Amino acid sequence: MNKKDFMNKLSAYLGGISVEDREDVNSDFEEHFEAGLAEGRTEEDIADSLGDPKSLANQLKASIFVREAGKTTSAVNITRAVFATLGLGFFNLIFILGPFIAIAAVLISLFATAIGITASGITVFITSIFGPFFPQYFTGLINPAVAIFGSIGLTCFGILFFIGDIYLAKLLYRLFVRYIKFNLRIITGKE
Amino acid sequence: MNIQFKKGVLELCALALLAKKNRYGYELVNEISKNISISEGTIYPLLRRLKNDGYVTTYLEESREGAPRKYYQLTEAGKKVGKELKEEWLTFVKKVNSFLKGGVKDE
Repeated sequence: MNKKDFMNKLSAYLGGISVEDREDVNSDFEEHFEAGLAEGRTEEDIADSLGDPKSLANQLKASIFVREAGKTTSAVNITRAVFATLGLGFFNLIFILGPFIAIAAVLISLFATAIGITASGITVFITSIFGPFFPQYFTGLINPAVAIFGSIGLTCFGILFFIGDIYLAKLLYRLFVRYIKFNLRIITGKE
Repeated sequence: MNIQFKKGVLELCALALLAKKNRYGYELVNEISKNISISEGTIYPLLRRLKNDGYVTTYLEESREGAPRKYYQLTEAGKKVGKELKEEWLTFVKKVNSFLKGGVKDE
């Protein structure tokens, strides 16, 4: 494998990273080849000692996506970071994908609960205001005052619950990024 | 040497080498692979992580061969982490050595 083959292979496995990062990675390896050639080594020798381009690309991608996830909080970024680390070996399936799915499931159910509470509050509120005008559809309504104030309370509780979920999600996000970074330090890719 | 061993010490070696002076990627790889056989490319993801974590900064400097080279410089945080890792490593090695030499008596 000569320099061109190596660079092509590396580039092929670096899908999804930004143009700037790609150029940065390329220039690192261009520089490496140049320094090696200046020492009198052959392109083949340098490429061989660099190691498997696919494995290198996976490691580079993982560090780039984890950096992005740390920089900007978004569901897309964290998902990319998680999947990039999966390329580094089987153990990440258990140690990263497992906790990731568990946390995501808990957060989704908490958000669903918050939305459910808010929606039921709003429904009761609307019913208790318009219900009395349509007695043929609604029977056995409770005291309108109780229903109105109760439903306002319920709606507010739902909204607060939702805001609480957002804070919790942000906190878990930060902790999880730190956890991935910690993992990257230990599992730096299969050979 | 065992592959997991090497992975773990690569970061330590890189930080130790950078503590002495600023170096470029190839130079770092060269110094490390003189003593430990590694996949030389592995240093680049590592350097990228060190940079993301704020342990090193980079700057470009002209070289005699032509194109400018990317030099890596330890930050204050990097120096601190390097020192801590070194201490941890030395204590750890000392303990393991004393086991291997059978110098530790049963309680």
